[in-house]
Order: sequence, then C-alpha cells, then structure tokens
Amino acid sequence: MSNPRPLLILLGLLLLWQGLVWITEVPAFLLPPPTAVASRLASAAPLLLDHAQVTLLEILLGLLGGVLIGGTSALLMALLPPVQPWLLPILVLGQTIPVFALAPLLVLWFGYGLASKVAMAILIIYFPVTAALFDGLRRTDPGWLDLARTMGATRWRTLYHLRLPAALPAFGSGLRIATAVAPIGAVVGEWVGSSGGLGYLMLHANARLQIDLMFAALIVLMAIALALYVAVDRLLVRAMPWAPLTLTRAQP
Amino acid sequence: MRLTMPFALLGLGIFLATPVAAADKLTLLLDWFVNPDHAPIIVAEELGYFAEAGLDVAMIAPADPNDPPKLVAAGEADVAISYQPQLHIQVDQGLPLSRIGTLVATPLNALVTLADGPVDRVSDLRGRKVGFSVGGFEDALLGAMLGHHGLSLADVELVNVNFALSPALLSGQVDAVIGAFRNFELNQLALEGRPGLAFYPEEEGVPTYDELIFIANNAALGDHRLPRFIDAIEAGTLYILNHPEESFGLFIEGRPELNDELNRLAWQDTLPRFALRPAALDTARYDRFAAFLEAQGLIGPPPPVADYAIQLPR
Amino acid sequence: MHPASAPQPDFDVAVRHASLRYGRAFLIQDLDFVLPGGHCTCLLGPSGVGKSSLLRVIAGLEPLDRGEVACTDGRPLAGRLAWMSQRDDLLPWLQVIDNVTLGARLRGERADRAKALDLLERAGLLAQRDQLPATLSGGQRQRAALARTLMEDRPVVLMDEPFSALDAITRARLQVLAATLLAGRTVFLVTHDPLEALRLGHRIQVMTGHPARIEGTIEPAGPPPRDLHDPALLARQGDLLAQLADVRDDAA
Repeated sequence: MSNPRPLLILLGLLLLWQGLVWITEVPAFLLPPPTAVASRLASAAPLLLDHAQVTLLEILLGLLGGVLIGGTSALLMALLPPVQPWLLPILVLGQTIPVFALAPLLVLWFGYGLASKVAMAILIIYFPVTAALFDGLRRTDPGWLDLARTMGATRWRTLYHLRLPAALPAFGSGLRIATAVAPIGAVVGEWVGSSGGLGYLMLHANARLQIDLMFAALIVLMAIALALYVAVDRLLVRAMPWAPLTLTRAQP
Repeated sequence: MRLTMPFALLGLGIFLATPVAAADKLTLLLDWFVNPDHAPIIVAEELGYFAEAGLDVAMIAPADPNDPPKLVAAGEADVAISYQPQLHIQVDQGLPLSRIGTLVATPLNALVTLADGPVDRVSDLRGRKVGFSVGGFEDALLGAMLGHHGLSLADVELVNVNFALSPALLSGQVDAVIGAFRNFELNQLALEGRPGLAFYPEEEGVPTYDELIFIANNAALGDHRLPRFIDAIEAGTLYILNHPEESFGLFIEGRPELNDELNRLAWQDTLPRFALRPAALDTARYDRFAAFLEAQGLIGPPPPVADYAIQLPR
Repeated sequence: MHPASAPQPDFDVAVRHASLRYGRAFLIQDLDFVLPGGHCTCLLGPSGVGKSSLLRVIAGLEPLDRGEVACTDGRPLAGRLAWMSQRDDLLPWLQVIDNVTLGARLRGERADRAKALDLLERAGLLAQRDQLPATLSGGQRQRAALARTLMEDRPVVLMDEPFSALDAITRARLQVLAATLLAGRTVFLVTHDPLEALRLGHRIQVMTGHPARIEGTIEPAGPPPRDLHDPALLARQGDLLAQLADVRDDAA
C-alpha cells in the first residue's frame, strides 16, 4: 500500500483497544481483548464467511433496489411536477419512521428470508438517494436550460441530456450515504427475523456469551461496509472525470 | 422502575413510628418487562416484605434479556432473574455467577404449534420451519426434542423471529416456535382464536429444570442482603398461594396496563409453578441438566454444582 | 474566410406594442422595435435598462405581458433562431465536438459531424475537438460556443454580451471571427461596449429610460467587421460614449 496512514491509524486503534482492556480490567464477556477477537476471526473464518455472504447479498440487492426505486422516483418528480407534492411527503415520512418500528412489520410481510432484509435496506436508502438525485435534477444551471429551450429540446430530452448528467455529482453524494447506511438496514432486518447473516450471528454469539465471536462478526461487517464504500467512491470519481475533486492536499 | 414505592413505604413506616432501620439498597434486574412470572416479587414489594427485611429494592426491566447476567457478573447490579439453562452456559464461559434462589421451579419453555395447523406430532416437523428467539440454547432444547422422535436439527429450518413468536406462528411464516412460554404464548394464541398445541421439553427427552432463577455475583454470596431478599420472596410466594385473588389485585396495583385478559389468564397458569421453597436447591437436578447440555455440545465438562448454585445460609 | 453558408433571411423580426413588467413597474411599455433581415443590429444601454430582457423575449425565453414578437413573413420565429449568452454554456461532461453538436442531440436528430469539424476548424479549435471544456481557455470556450451557434444554422442569431467576459485582445479577435462567420444572417447583439457595437453593427441603437425606449440609430459606413484604426470609428465611439453618459445622467 502506497499510503501507510490508514494502516497506522488501524494499528493505533488496536493498541488503544488493548490498552483499554488492560487498564480497566474489563471482563472478556463485556469487552474482549483484540487478541481474543483476532484468534476467533481466524478459527471461525469459514463460519464468518458463510454468514458474511448472506449479509453482503442483502446489502448489494438493497443498494440496487434502493437506487433503482429512488432514482425512478426522482426522475418521475422531475419529469412530472404534479407528482411532487404527492411523493415528497412520502419521502420524508419514510425517512422519519424509526427503522426498528418498521422492521417487525416488514419481516411479517416479506417473511424471514432475503426479501425482508433487502426491503429494510431499500427503505433506509430510499430517502438519501431520491432526495440527492432530485435536488441535483432541479438545480440544473438555468443558462443551460435557456440554451436547450432555444434549441427546441423536449422536456424528456432536456431531462436525459442535460439535467441527468448535471445531477450526477449530487446523485453521487446520495449514493455514498446510501452505501454507508445500507448495511444497517440489512443487519436490523436480520436482528428482527432471519436464519443467517452477520446480524443473526452476532445475536447468537451474544446469547451464547461468545462475545469474541460477536466482535469478530462485527469487524467483518465493518470491513464489508468499508470496502463497499471505497469501491463506490472510486467508481463515482471514475464516472465523472469532468467534475474533479478540488479539495485535495495539492490545492489551497 | 418502582422507585416511588420504597419511599412511600419508608414514609409510612416513619408515620407509624415503627422502628425501621435505614433500608439497604438492592438492584434487581428482571429478565423481561413485568409480567405474571414476577408475581412473588411484586407481591413482596406491595405488601412491604422487602421494607420489613430492611431492603430497598430497585427493579429494572432490561431492553435486551441477555444483558442482566452480564451486568451482575460485572458488578453493576446485585441480583438478576435468569434461566437455569443460561446459567450453565454463562458459567461455562467463565462468568462469576451463582444461583441463589428459584422463582419458577418448572420449565415454562415449550414447542408450540397451531392446533389447527399441519403439525400434530413432533415428528410432523420434518422439513418445516421452526421459529425461535435467540436464547442461546433453544436449538439444544429443540434438538433433544426432535431426537426423541428420531429427527435432528438438520430436518427442520430454524428461523430467528426475535421475540415475535406468536405473530410468526399466526401469520403462518413458521410452522412451530420454540422458546414460547406455556403460560403466556398459549394464552395469547387462544385469545386470538387460534389455540396452540404445546409439546413440553420435559416430556420429550429434556431433563426438567428451573425456568426462572435468581443469580448473584460469586463475590457477593456472603452478602447478608441476599438471604433477606430470598426470605421476602418466600413470604410473597406463600401469600399468593393463600390469597390468589388479592394477589392479582396487588399485581395490577399502579400497573393498569397489565390489567387485561392475557395477563389474567397467564396469572392463573403461572401460580402453580412458583417455587414454594425459593431458597432450596436440588443439586442432582442441576447436575443432570449440565450433563444434558454437555452431551448436546453446548458446554464443556461442567464444574461441580456447588461452584455455581448454592442454598443461602439463613 | 468566407461566411458559413449563410441563408440570406428574407424577413424582418418585428417587436410590436411590447410591454414587460418588472415587479410593479414597466420595464418596457408599448415598445416597437425591428431587426432588419440579414443585418447586425447592436443594442447599447445602461445596466438594468432591459436589454437582456428584450433579448430573452425575442428568444422566447420570457413572455411579454402585452404585445408580440413576429416575423414579417408570417411564420413563427421559434425554431429559426440561435442563442448565445455571455457564458459559454458548454456542458462540462461533453467533449468540445459533442458540445458543438448539442442542438442535434437535443432534438433527436443525427449530428452532422463533418460540418461540426469544419466549423471547429474555422474557429481554430480542431485540435481541441476531443477535449473537455475545463481544459480550454476563456477565449477558446467562447469560440466553441460560437461554433455551436453556427452549427444550428439559423437565420436569426441572438447574442447577449457574448464577449464581455474576455480580455481585450481575445475579444477583438473573436469579434472579427463572429462578424465573418455570421455575415448575412440577422444578428441581434446586446453589448455594453460601444466600440464593439461600432465594429460589428450595421445599425446601432441605444435603449434608455424607465420604461425603456429605443432611440438614436447610428448606421456606420462600411461592412463589419470595421477596422479598429479607422479614425471615424474612434470619433464615433467618443460620441456614443458621450451619448451614453448623458443618458446615464438623465436616468440617474
């Protein structure tokens, strides 16, 4: 790795964790030392991998579904302004309802399999994605819109050729948030009803007082979330070469 | 939770000019929200038995039933209500806990299915879905019950339904649930018009055990508050036995949300199951269950019972 | 350089009895104004008098409160005009050549790539055809905008201070380029630079007053673009400046 800083940060955090355990002498069933968690990561690797696949699938499907549904909602509102006053309240409501309150209902409706977890993830990211894309679509540069009108562009063509590409940076912000938040939806769904996944594993481990396994599952989950975020971020930067990042070390 | 009660009792005591020593505080962590399983505790509180014993008991209901044992083990609370099967697992994981008394002396756990459903016998569960709430040992229980009928856990699909056992069953998402309490969920189903059919672990190859017990930290076993606490529980239990109607009135005193049909029915079903001798310990029973868990692969070789269950000296 | 295949328009654009409100006051009231076909008309005036508003009204970007914009041949102006604003309005995610052919794309037509390349060559931007606008200088961007305007190949061209954001030298060069490439079309150029008006306009008018009136028609001799060294031109500039200053004092 060219940049040692993330590795150093990680090392620092691990030392802090170990130090905390030593100094406070906290029992292992409350906070296991990193060494115990590391050895459990190794010994339970196949188990962790099995459940990680389940959760990863839920997250990816949730992201896909959320982006499709959210993107469509935003485009619909941009194309048909009369739809806005109907869809916007639903958007806000969907965001304010606490996830824990909805989870049992979703599980009851969609069952205990993949569908309810995907539905939870979609619900959690629906607002960030839709709001971000819609905001981007409605704040298109008015000068460009003037030009398009004088050129005789239809509403649809203006949306497709002008508003949509111009809204990509805003959409990217929404997508980044969604990527960071989708894992929460998947895991909450698993807590409420499931037969597999890292959330399910964490519950089981907690009940069996295998706290080191619980932490190991948590770490795997965090690793997945982090890897996903970095991947999406890189993808977005690649997809928009015309909107370079101007807040780097090189610039004032 | 019921912090106003001890203060009121203290005031009453002073008013009556009864010489009362300054009460010792005691934190009791419940296993779940207040329900008929806690009757002896509530009655003891309402009748002032704790105050008479010089105890100021703070009752706290946890959001996560897995927390209380950990908190007692960490020294954050004095006594918790837990489950005997859980205690074996906790001790196996090195938690410094011991049983100091029994609240409910029979299993309450049951494998429940709908009476009008496709399952009439345990063997009918082959290839079906069984819901459970994560308690850590439900699959051991289920595995033993299935094994009693020639099946294994591999023959069913286990689904974590968290604590929504009845809804899961009623909605048809699962064909049976394990972890349902026979005094509670069965009544819940009956009230919904879909009575349940229960299979009892102790009748299906699982050694009998205490469903609800009191646990304390090993370092605090000599604490003189504990025997006084258990004695008050004993007094409360006896009162319920002798005055069942009045006891229910005390139970719902100041808790109107518990004054409903479900709680009334659950109350009736729970009464016969309270430990009539809360302090008494049946060592062989604990040995037997530990051996069962070890055979199921849930724990390693168990320590002597005396290491984690005692009869408090009074 | 020869003009880019100019269709000599055989109609004038007439603004009749036009009234436009701005808030509670009238920006223009019962105004009559003519753009003679095939000629370049320049409009000068103080800021805020309504030059750009008049331009936008003719372009169809804003509605009149009263009156009409009509062509003397009876056919509508819509679809027969090209628009160029002060900002280049180049879409940052499109290469230069795609920006030039934007109009075709917005109308769902096939873009004439050969013609676009030809126009880019005339504008001196052939080498930059595959670059993103961010890599171009201000002058280059405005040249690209000019190429885009010409690509539309419309008889009427409306320009809102197209060179005002450029430095003096670049502006001078672009004026020559524009005059050459736009020769023969009906051009309406709004500008605040009297020299630019004198160089490029067949007819120069001044817009003044509240509500605004258009007056003081000057028709310099010789075809545009006129020589900067011509003393008559420079003398005229002095007169115009004085006239504008008077106007400003009156309006102040």
